[in-house]
Amino acid sequence: MNRFGRLAVMAAMACAIAGPAFAQGTIKIGVEVPTTGAEATYGRDMANAVVLAQDEINKAGGVLGKKLTMVIGDDACDPQQAVNAASKLVSQHVLAVVGGYCSGATLPTLKIYGDAHVPFVITASNSTKLIPANPGNAFMINSTGDQQATKAVAFLAGKGAKTLAIVNEGDAYSQDLANLTRADWTKAGHKVVAYETASSGQQDYSAIVTAIRAAKPDAVFWTAYYADGALLIRQLRQAGYRGIIAVGDGSNSTKLFAIAGAAAEGVFCFTNPTAQFLPAAKAFIKAYKARFGSNPGPYAPLTYDGMKLVAWAMTKAGSTASAKVIAALKTADGVQWLTGPIRFTKHNTLARSNFIVLEDRNNAWVRADK
Amino acid sequence: MSLTSILLHQALNGLVLGSFYALVALGYTMIFGVIKLLNFAHGDLYMAGGFVALLVLSAISGIVGAGWPGIFLAMLLAMIAVGCLGVVIERIAYHPMLGAPRLSILITALAVSLVLENTVLALTNGQYAAFQTSLGFGGVAIGGLFITYSEMVLVGMAALLMVTLELFVTRTQYGRAMRAVAVDTDMCALLGINVPTVIGVTFFIGSALAAAAGTMAGAYYGSLWYFMGFLIGLKAFTAAVIGGIGSIPGAMLGGLVLGMLESFGTQIPGIGSQWKDVFSFVVLILVLVFKPTGLLGRSEQERM
Repeated sequence: MNRFGRLAVMAAMACAIAGPAFAQGTIKIGVEVPTTGAEATYGRDMANAVVLAQDEINKAGGVLGKKLTMVIGDDACDPQQAVNAASKLVSQHVLAVVGGYCSGATLPTLKIYGDAHVPFVITASNSTKLIPANPGNAFMINSTGDQQATKAVAFLAGKGAKTLAIVNEGDAYSQDLANLTRADWTKAGHKVVAYETASSGQQDYSAIVTAIRAAKPDAVFWTAYYADGALLIRQLRQAGYRGIIAVGDGSNSTKLFAIAGAAAEGVFCFTNPTAQFLPAAKAFIKAYKARFGSNPGPYAPLTYDGMKLVAWAMTKAGSTASAKVIAALKTADGVQWLTGPIRFTKHNTLARSNFIVLEDRNNAWVRADK
Repeated sequence: MSLTSILLHQALNGLVLGSFYALVALGYTMIFGVIKLLNFAHGDLYMAGGFVALLVLSAISGIVGAGWPGIFLAMLLAMIAVGCLGVVIERIAYHPMLGAPRLSILITALAVSLVLENTVLALTNGQYAAFQTSLGFGGVAIGGLFITYSEMVLVGMAALLMVTLELFVTRTQYGRAMRAVAVDTDMCALLGINVPTVIGVTFFIGSALAAAAGTMAGAYYGSLWYFMGFLIGLKAFTAAVIGGIGSIPGAMLGGLVLGMLESFGTQIPGIGSQWKDVFSFVVLILVLVFKPTGLLGRSEQERM
């Protein structure tokens, strides 16, 4: 075959590959989640949920006659890497972004998506610090930190706790939740007897454990993520602390049991509804298991809804133009999603609280607030 | 909790923490002794030791269980494996650099650290690994103090390792050779001591001690992470400097002193637990300013 012939074949092959895509066009959606780093379990899980939603949408004919494709931007739960990931997604001309797990990593990306006029559906990050930083294009479909604090205070007070120790990790998410809880707890007429800040990734929590034991709180509330939380729980129980231990939604992971073991027995967790506690999610769990071989994690349903919400907004707007999609998102209403109805406040946050309380019984979560 | 009870508890916490620091600091100080290198990859050998032990333990826990016998066996194998890794690192990365300026070999050590961290990062995807053992939280109460069996075994193991090391260094021929190399490498070579072998043995022992500490930390705290060696590496360096870098008893003392300082320092009213790391590095600076040779170090005299 001469050179010309080879070129012709290659051209034909290129057309064959590009053909269907050219014929229909695609809508590129960015997915910003941590797929490496300590929080990678959640990130991968969220990415899987997007894949599931994308395939279902495409099978049903896509959006505006076009297929959805996704590009993953790994933020590694790190503010600096998140900025890189967001810039990468923007430079690839994504028409919308779904995801956002660690609030601290999501925070600096808001401006980037805002400047690029990309609609951003935040499916997990829920620090109230995100609200004032939102340029108007971001929508938070997870209930925010203040609602979690309200739930935590009501539940712990209901358990008879009068004094509380709060431990956070100094990042946007856990500090926000810790401050909101402290304010609510004090307002409810109770006392915060210890307020500690741990540094992320340290193994030894003995200083905090001693401070907590000296303060003798009825309950301890860990507001940061599971990996360090598990160590704190373990060391608290090891040192003989017998009071209530509660954790925030960032610690809703079965890895908490793997690391803390028997020490996690009876630990309470405030969280948005995970798949197993959503009546509408039976089919979703089955599809997820069939596809990925494991149970969906805590943020899979919300992220699945996030992707579907983007598709819904584009269909409703009849366009992928960001101004129209954002306008459609602002008026989102009337659909029963996997995680319930989605309506936004004037700050683009979810208009209801979705928090539930779980308890560890024999290293499995069960509902504790029913 | 009464004040005495708090103080006793902090002393115990300081002892446990100090044991980890001391074991890692020993490797730092021994390696500095023989080749005058601050081995910044040492903390990562601690991490590697934890992961090797976890692999061994998950492989053998079906046969011997995940209790103390299994952990000891895992620790032993991790010590051998990581000891060999230390020797290989020395042969590949440091040995060709021994004649080069100090700064070059220091940068090599930083590179080795990055290679080790990122290899484990790639293998584990940066996730925490649960170090599951069947150790309970049982223990004995002495007065107001509750000591768990794990803490007792841990401190006991660390003490045993340190006593063995001290005997090795002071009573055996290799130990004598090590001390001699630390004093004058060229003279040792002239007198027929096989200097590369002595350096190899030093790396083996230092790395094995770090692996032992990594295994014990994994079993005690219950989790492993690719980045766990970074902070303890810095702390162990601090401990070695406090004790007098190059001095073996100094490293043991420095580790315990640092553990106690951190433990009690965070309990001073007004200084919260978030100041823990600041506290230890402030102490490092103070030692460097007022007694640069450390507690047991002597300037330019016998180093080990």
